[in-house]
Amino acid sequence: MLASTGVSGTLGRAFLLVGFIGAVFGAFAAFTGARRSDQQVIRLIPRFAVLIFAASVGAFATMEYAMITRDFSLAYVQKVGSWSTPALYNFAAVWSALEGSILMWVLVLAGYTLAVAYWVRKRMHDPIASWAMGVMFVVSAFFFLVSFFPANPFAAGAPGVLDGPGPNPLLQNHVLVMFHPPILYLGYVGVTVPFAFAIAALITGRVDEGWLVATRRWSLFAWGFLTFGIALGSWWSYEVLGWSGVWAWDPVENASLLPWITGTAYIHSVLVQERRGMLRVWNISLLVATFSLTILGTFLTRSGVLNSVHAFSESGIGSWFLAMFAVVLVVSIGLIGWRGDRLRSPGVIDSPLSREAAFLANNVLFAVFAFVVLLGTVFPLIVEALQNRQIAVGAPFFDRLSTPIGLALLTLMAIAPVLPWRKATTETLRDRLFWPAWCGLGALILSLVFGAYGLAPLLTFALGGVSAGAALRQVSLATRRQGWRGLVGRANGGMIVHLGVILIAVALGASNSFSKSQELSLVQDVEAQFAGHTFELRDVVEVRDDRSISVKALVLVDGRKIYAPAITKFTRIGMNVGTPSVRTSLTADVYLTLEPPVRQDANEARIKVFIKPMIVWLWIGTALMAVGTVLAVFPGRRRKPTEPTSAPVEVGRS
Amino acid sequence: MKTRRSIWLAMFLVAGVLLVFGANRGGGPKTQQERIDLLTSNLACPTCSGESVFESRAVAAEAIRSEVARQVAAGLRTDDEIMGYIEQRFGGQVLLVPRADGLDALVWALPVAVAVFSLFVLFSAFAKWRGNRPPSPSNDDELIVARALDERES
Repeated sequence: MLASTGVSGTLGRAFLLVGFIGAVFGAFAAFTGARRSDQQVIRLIPRFAVLIFAASVGAFATMEYAMITRDFSLAYVQKVGSWSTPALYNFAAVWSALEGSILMWVLVLAGYTLAVAYWVRKRMHDPIASWAMGVMFVVSAFFFLVSFFPANPFAAGAPGVLDGPGPNPLLQNHVLVMFHPPILYLGYVGVTVPFAFAIAALITGRVDEGWLVATRRWSLFAWGFLTFGIALGSWWSYEVLGWSGVWAWDPVENASLLPWITGTAYIHSVLVQERRGMLRVWNISLLVATFSLTILGTFLTRSGVLNSVHAFSESGIGSWFLAMFAVVLVVSIGLIGWRGDRLRSPGVIDSPLSREAAFLANNVLFAVFAFVVLLGTVFPLIVEALQNRQIAVGAPFFDRLSTPIGLALLTLMAIAPVLPWRKATTETLRDRLFWPAWCGLGALILSLVFGAYGLAPLLTFALGGVSAGAALRQVSLATRRQGWRGLVGRANGGMIVHLGVILIAVALGASNSFSKSQELSLVQDVEAQFAGHTFELRDVVEVRDDRSISVKALVLVDGRKIYAPAITKFTRIGMNVGTPSVRTSLTADVYLTLEPPVRQDANEARIKVFIKPMIVWLWIGTALMAVGTVLAVFPGRRRKPTEPTSAPVEVGRS
Repeated sequence: MKTRRSIWLAMFLVAGVLLVFGANRGGGPKTQQERIDLLTSNLACPTCSGESVFESRAVAAEAIRSEVARQVAAGLRTDDEIMGYIEQRFGGQVLLVPRADGLDALVWALPVAVAVFSLFVLFSAFAKWRGNRPPSPSNDDELIVARALDERES
């Protein structure tokens, strides 16, 4: 088999093998080093990290080289490579199918392993650091092995193939395919780091807050990239798929959302542990859940199990991920049980009206949310297994259940930021929420003036107003006290993230509830009207290149600018892909798609028009979340832990 | 303080009235296309995994979409009747929303059960914490502290 793949195949597999062996030895060195505190062994750990990173870069570069040189001796290049794919999309073609995306996982994971090794280089003798490195190596070894055996991207292809179809047409249509997968993976794979430290804390028995504080930035980093990656995916869906939506609740999307939900719960509840030493078991469980959901999500979406239960035995990768999932769960739960006595914390939560109680409520909501998404995703499997019939659980189910959860979360976002730790009185609440409540009332009146209707969207706008007021209150108090430093640190950066979330909630509420759509049969040079806009077909043109034939309708919108929704036929694959054209503005997008059938010589075209209110605020909210996350990573000003929470923060101390 | 309380009361009242008003006013008539979009987003594309007919560009989805469009254009059936008709014609697995009977009802019941259960756990945790509050120092304790402080000063 190796003989027939040529240089790339052999070299690539060799890199993977070296990576696997390096990871196994690295794990071995880390574990023995940690157990015996043997300095000589411990010194080897970073070298193995360098080795596996080099191996993963080598394997990835080999794959890129094979793709760029169109080495059709490889099955993977035959599947997603083509001479006619433009260079940019050809580069991204490497991660456009299963084997290549696992290879990218390997690369990102090895990168994280090396980064952690560099970060702990001076305290590698600390058992918690070397155990964590050991866990990173074990996970890396698993992925090297998956890439070597069941998801081998360097397998030999059928002989005599000289060209291929190229990647899925949807993946050579928009530049976002370059960024969305790598950024999402930086988040998805990044949760391995806090997980590794959680396991190390359990093994060493040092389950106090030290490891939490130490890995805080890693968690935020991974969470930030996961958030950003998911948002980029939504943007891609909106710009490319042509149904005008940003989120379809399909299993692959849910697989990325699940760890995001538990991760979000974690970055909130961890504050309670840092502050009060409570919720130790819960926080470790959330990290375990987040990491194992990345594995479970990959199993669900990449094994073919969700398309049909019967495809399960045919797909090699499924059983590997299922086994890994089981191992992670058994080991973690076993360790938590073993360390049960040390995980018990002495603290109590004094009052249901306190910051920590609000964080608890937040966690309950996120846990229920995660359960809903997981249940909806796997429910068709359960029904098929028990009753051998097929059902679908789709967007309407998730929408219906996530609306009340989202509203409850917005309510918490309104109240929690003004709550003090320990205990609040209703008077405090009444004082501090006074102006935020006015913001909410203002938002409600404003949305009614603009013609909004329906309970759920109106509640979204009103609660969004209160939450925004609560977040702005915190930021303005902090900046008044500390100047620009009032914008950094977790509490303040977190409020900026909240503002982004609120914008997203409002944008989703508006665009889901108040979209308008109409199909227009346009005749050339005759103006049609819909929802206060005019549409005039100027021309229908055809654009050909060596991979596709594209028909574009040139539509003049509101007499100002021409938009060109298109249908592109990818000749090699024989697939039609619609490309929407969008006019964006701060109030509403005008989203145009060209409907089949299309003829280039005709002087008419069927156009579907969507009016999507406030959609642009989704992307602005995302940007705000990204900015807030960066601000939260910067160290803010803190009180000494021994000072009462009511003490003012001294100026001039960091 | 009293005025502030009445302002709050007024605010809640106004917000309540506005919400009731807003919840009951409609958004004007739907276009035919909006009816089609709404119906098709509750129908599953038979050849995709979990995608709706509205989203999907698959051939099978196209067939259902044009049938729905035909029905809406004919204007003879209500939305519910069209859904029933499509289900009859294309088979039961065309529904994207699980029914609320038999095994399928679990997908609706379980989230509610989990929510209720976790709220119960939360409340009982608070009840337990309330009972577990550390005892306040007795007179003897305070004497010991006072003595210790005296000793340190002298």
